[in-house]
Amino acid sequence: VVEYNVDVLDDTFHALAHPVRREIVSQLAENRQTILELASHFDISLNGVSKHIKVLEDAGLIQREIHGRTHYCSLNPAPLKHADAWIEHYRSFWNQRLDALGDYINKRK
Amino acid sequence: MSNTSLQFRRIYHASREELFAAWTEPEQMREWLCPAGATIPYIEVDLRVGGSFRIDMQSENGNYSHTGEYREITRPEKLAFTWSSINTQNKETLVTVTLIQHGRQTELVLTHEDLPDKQAQEMHAMGWNSILDKLISQVPAQGT
Repeated sequence: VVEYNVDVLDDTFHALAHPVRREIVSQLAENRQTILELASHFDISLNGVSKHIKVLEDAGLIQREIHGRTHYCSLNPAPLKHADAWIEHYRSFWNQRLDALGDYINKRK
Repeated sequence: MSNTSLQFRRIYHASREELFAAWTEPEQMREWLCPAGATIPYIEVDLRVGGSFRIDMQSENGNYSHTGEYREITRPEKLAFTWSSINTQNKETLVTVTLIQHGRQTELVLTHEDLPDKQAQEMHAMGWNSILDKLISQVPAQGT
């Protein structure tokens, strides 16, 4: 039995539940940006933008690379992929079960 | 995100009635619904719309339960039930089994899809599904 992190999806949705954070994700979908570049798209303080970046970072949606005093942010869409995790499990589960059903039906004849 | 689904098709040398019984009678379900190397020590089925079922599976990797509720029972052509377990992250998913008679054979179509939950509906309302789908498509299938 493979265990999946039940909280990942909730964290992801929470992180995306704010318009500024969704815009940050949209910006980063194009290319990585520094925090100053990101902040320039918004009419809020640098501190405010930093807080939103932190929420996205905690949800694992953003990763940060530090070069000297410059912090680059890039998108990590892996947590979103988690929603589809059950698909990988049930693809093989149902294929095997449906084959077993065929064996069971044939054996009874 | 709310449109994740899987579909399977099989042809069986059996009638729809036989297959419907294999899917709904606990003694028969035990015979084939259990993965190789596992057993079903406990199964209960309340076969009516709104009725629930529970299938406990036991293997050397651990024990886990599949539970759900019947949503549609149209003997012998269609059965739909919710399905949740640790493998669906304990979220409700929907399994629909349709049986189509072709002479002496029966075609079985199984669809397994997730149920749009409240959050997914909100995301949809915000027009965000397409963006999320785009992001998901960027994730490599391996090594995530």
